[in-house]
Amino acid sequence: MAEPAYTVASDSETIGEEKSSSVFPEIAIGIDIGTSQCSVAFWNGSQVELLKNTRNQKMMRSYVTFKDEIPSGGVSNQLSHENEMLSGAAIFNMKRLIGRVDTDPVVHASKSLPFLVQTLDIGVRPFVAALVNNVWRSTTPEEVLAIYLVELRAMAEIQLKRPIRNAVLSIPVSFSRFQLTRIERACAMAGLHVLRLMPEPTAVALLYAQQQQLTVHENMGSGSEKIALIFNMGAGYCDVAVSATAGGVSQIKALAGSPVGGEDLLQNMMRHLLPNHGINEIKSMGLLRVTTQDAIHRLSLQTSVQIDVDLGKGLKICKVVSREEFEEVNRQIFEKCENLIVQCLHDAKVEIEDLTDVILVGGCSYIPKVRNLVKSICKKEELYTGMNTLEAVVCGAALEGAVASGISDPFGNLDLLTIQATPLAIGIRADGNNFIPIIPRNTAMPSRRDVVFTTVRDNQTEALIIVYEGEGKKVEENHLLGYFKIMGIPPAPKGVPEINVGMDIDTSNVLRVLAGVILPGAQHPVIPVMEVRMPTVDDGHGWCAAALHRTYGSNLDLETVQKKI
Amino acid sequence: MNFSLSSSLKGSANPLLSQKKPTKPSQINPKFISVSCRATTTLSTGENETTNFYKVLSLSSNNASFDEVKRAYKSMALQCHPDICHNPSRKAEATRMFVQFHAAYTTLSDPVLREKYDCELGLRNFGKMKKKRNLQCSMRKGWQDQIVELKKRSSCRMKQRPGSWGSRMRAQNMQHD
Repeated sequence: MAEPAYTVASDSETIGEEKSSSVFPEIAIGIDIGTSQCSVAFWNGSQVELLKNTRNQKMMRSYVTFKDEIPSGGVSNQLSHENEMLSGAAIFNMKRLIGRVDTDPVVHASKSLPFLVQTLDIGVRPFVAALVNNVWRSTTPEEVLAIYLVELRAMAEIQLKRPIRNAVLSIPVSFSRFQLTRIERACAMAGLHVLRLMPEPTAVALLYAQQQQLTVHENMGSGSEKIALIFNMGAGYCDVAVSATAGGVSQIKALAGSPVGGEDLLQNMMRHLLPNHGINEIKSMGLLRVTTQDAIHRLSLQTSVQIDVDLGKGLKICKVVSREEFEEVNRQIFEKCENLIVQCLHDAKVEIEDLTDVILVGGCSYIPKVRNLVKSICKKEELYTGMNTLEAVVCGAALEGAVASGISDPFGNLDLLTIQATPLAIGIRADGNNFIPIIPRNTAMPSRRDVVFTTVRDNQTEALIIVYEGEGKKVEENHLLGYFKIMGIPPAPKGVPEINVGMDIDTSNVLRVLAGVILPGAQHPVIPVMEVRMPTVDDGHGWCAAALHRTYGSNLDLETVQKKI
Repeated sequence: MNFSLSSSLKGSANPLLSQKKPTKPSQINPKFISVSCRATTTLSTGENETTNFYKVLSLSSNNASFDEVKRAYKSMALQCHPDICHNPSRKAEATRMFVQFHAAYTTLSDPVLREKYDCELGLRNFGKMKKKRNLQCSMRKGWQDQIVELKKRSSCRMKQRPGSWGSRMRAQNMQHD
């Protein structure tokens, strides 16, 4: 899986210690692609270090401008003015757009951004374009991300003086497997091999595990199991995880996530400030976006803020906004955050009293309301303070990069392990239009499970396996991952052939779906077992399933085998 | 599974036993479990290593505490998780092992599932012993039978208890398996 070791010319200047290990594996870097900011970190041999760009920034704005013929990203590019980003020439928030279809509410919410997001509402990818010299130049979120990653990679290669091939990227919990393939695609376009895609709070959990391991070493403590709740809210996504940590092993007990974040807070606030204006007017007002953003930031420190802005065309906003007003405008979003925490604790089967630490990270963790709601649900006076809220995710990703690359540390700082869990259930369509999970949510990875299904018609010789991911009871509520047909089922009365559908997720989170047919009494499958790596659909075309239904009706359906009593 | 279900029904019909044990339902605590486990340890000598969850987790005795189970799981994970093993040829083996000992951990770290498992383990061992030495067991059979019945009844009660939705679903899933 990993690339063979590189012989880097500049290795000669390093000390002899490394020479002894000539098969020194390449250490994967950690990349946190945020909705608004990105960062890169790496294991420098003794600890995690963040890279800085030429302007000495650790956090780099996530955007790509198409102003000139050659697009340039926010890694090194200096924006002459904030307004330039909002002129339509820059594409940002790609993390909210990648792998989503034009019926997705998140895509619709993105239509208020200054660049073009066009939807036809038929379940295909949205049309995204940047304004270059008064021409809408089309692009895709993958392309934008790839351009950005190329810059990040170039920056890392210059600073680390070695080629960078492998990377661990952090991703939101709520990403579907189809979205993960889009991230992988963007990485491939940028020449990066994805070693792991790590849900953001699990990266924080790994960093926490390392910190706990260090304190145990120092205090010679017993190292008993510690339960931590991790709440990560950035500009685009809100994620929660509950982890059980002991002896450097971080076991993810449960995950929950939703695409709500600072961007939603900002949009609600913008609509609140200009209540009688449509999406297109708000879109054109880059200045409003900047002012509102600034006001929200200041409301984290002070209880009210004076907004005084001339938007042109005789439109002026002169208003005092209080913190309560901001909280009321965004009440639904904060409620959503609360629900995620409650659900995650419930799924993890953890009582609030059992929580050792509550960790709050991400850009939105500065908002007093967010801090208070997390504290009140978890009944904690204090939050965990051992981490930089903005850097925790990328540090965790870099740690995972070092661990997954097989690096060992003489001081045991890398004797770490994350036991990941599946954030969404994976299953197939059966019993009519129902979604039957085969691997439930929050199952430890790697995982193998199978469920037996049977035919719905006499002498049915073919069956469709339609694989979905999600939490809905009906298939339509879930993401379609792919489908295939099993043929050659021996003719038999309905309910007799056993169709065994298995799912296998390995540690790299690769999903394989297996299907075999067994007749009662027989030991071996009647036909060769089919093994399909998922997802297989392009562009997340959920309507493929509708087309299958139109063509085949229920002729190729399956149903679960009733338990014999 | 079907067999144990029907026999547990018979057990609860036994007036003697049901009179004896009405105080127990409130105590579904590890104390009760550990007592019943000890009884089975003596018999589990001929147990197949790959199927005994306690052995999968390298636990010395069947009355290991939940903390011990957790610790054993974590230390096993540090040794056998496919992420730790960097030899590509051994990855598949590591994955298989992880899946196995994770299953052991899920069962043994859940009070309800563990009790059920202990009960099944007891039944299985008992069956073996009966074949091997029919004579010696005749005396033991009496109390062994009782313990098995008690455990089954207790796990039945556990099922009737409201419990969390998750634990019930998981118990159901185990039955499907």
